[in-house]
Amino acid sequence: MSAQASSRLYLAIWGWLAGLMLLGVVLSEMNILPLPTATIVLIVLVLSVIKAALVALYYMHLKMDRRLLVLIALFPLVLIALAVGVVFSSALVKL
Amino acid sequence: MSQAHAASAPTATGIPNGKLGMWLFLASEVMFFTGLIGAYVVLRMSHPAWPGHEGHLSVPIGTINTLILICSSTSIVLALAAAERAAIGAVRGWLALTAVLGSVFLVVKGFEYAAKFSHHILPSTNVFWSCYFALTGFHALHVLGGIVFNLVVLGYTFNPAVWADRRKRLELAGLYWHFVDIVWIFLFPMLYLFN
Repeated sequence: MSAQASSRLYLAIWGWLAGLMLLGVVLSEMNILPLPTATIVLIVLVLSVIKAALVALYYMHLKMDRRLLVLIALFPLVLIALAVGVVFSSALVKL
Repeated sequence: MSQAHAASAPTATGIPNGKLGMWLFLASEVMFFTGLIGAYVVLRMSHPAWPGHEGHLSVPIGTINTLILICSSTSIVLALAAAERAAIGAVRGWLALTAVLGSVFLVVKGFEYAAKFSHHILPSTNVFWSCYFALTGFHALHVLGGIVFNLVVLGYTFNPAVWADRRKRLELAGLYWHFVDIVWIFLFPMLYLFN
């Protein structure tokens, strides 16, 4: 990718990041969707995951980098999933 | 072997050691903030009377600060793009802008803290404010570390010999800065929007 094209891509990603962030603020503050609070929270968190993925893939270049770096980046997410699983299962299971 | 040669020497992984080390460090940092954020989520879900109006934060200020960090992430990746086309003046400009934006973020955060302190809101006030000051305080320390890293790399650009030897560190500074941005991407809605 040429330097000019990559700069254009970075600016486009900036637009997505700013737009998704503002969308999250509007959804949670202005009650424009007739949805329960828990659903709005879930939507805003999904928007955050999308923004984090855009930063990791394009700004941190994981999309073009070696697979080993992708695995290193994903490994903590596996641990997080395990931790979340333990927390919620311990909340549900009464010993 | 010179430092420049060592930096570009092939490695067993095919990834420069510095970059591999930075990614491993960032993976450990993810777990650090996961512990803090996880504690916040568990406390919040198990707390019957989570602060409502008492835990109010200014959404406009938080939104502006989030935009500032997003802009700084873009400016540092543009510094890297400028470095790839050897435009040293542009590298300096984008790096300086990144450091300035990071500093503005900290100043805004400082005003937020000062406003809370003036209303006698402290980490000991209640569980929400304990979490708020712990999460944002550790994040602010990381922002400060990132600003110092960016300024050190900016300093390299003023000496051609040093820049030729250490220009790869711009990518490492960028990786660290983007991580700081990602952490805030999650902290902002959790602290400011979900009250």
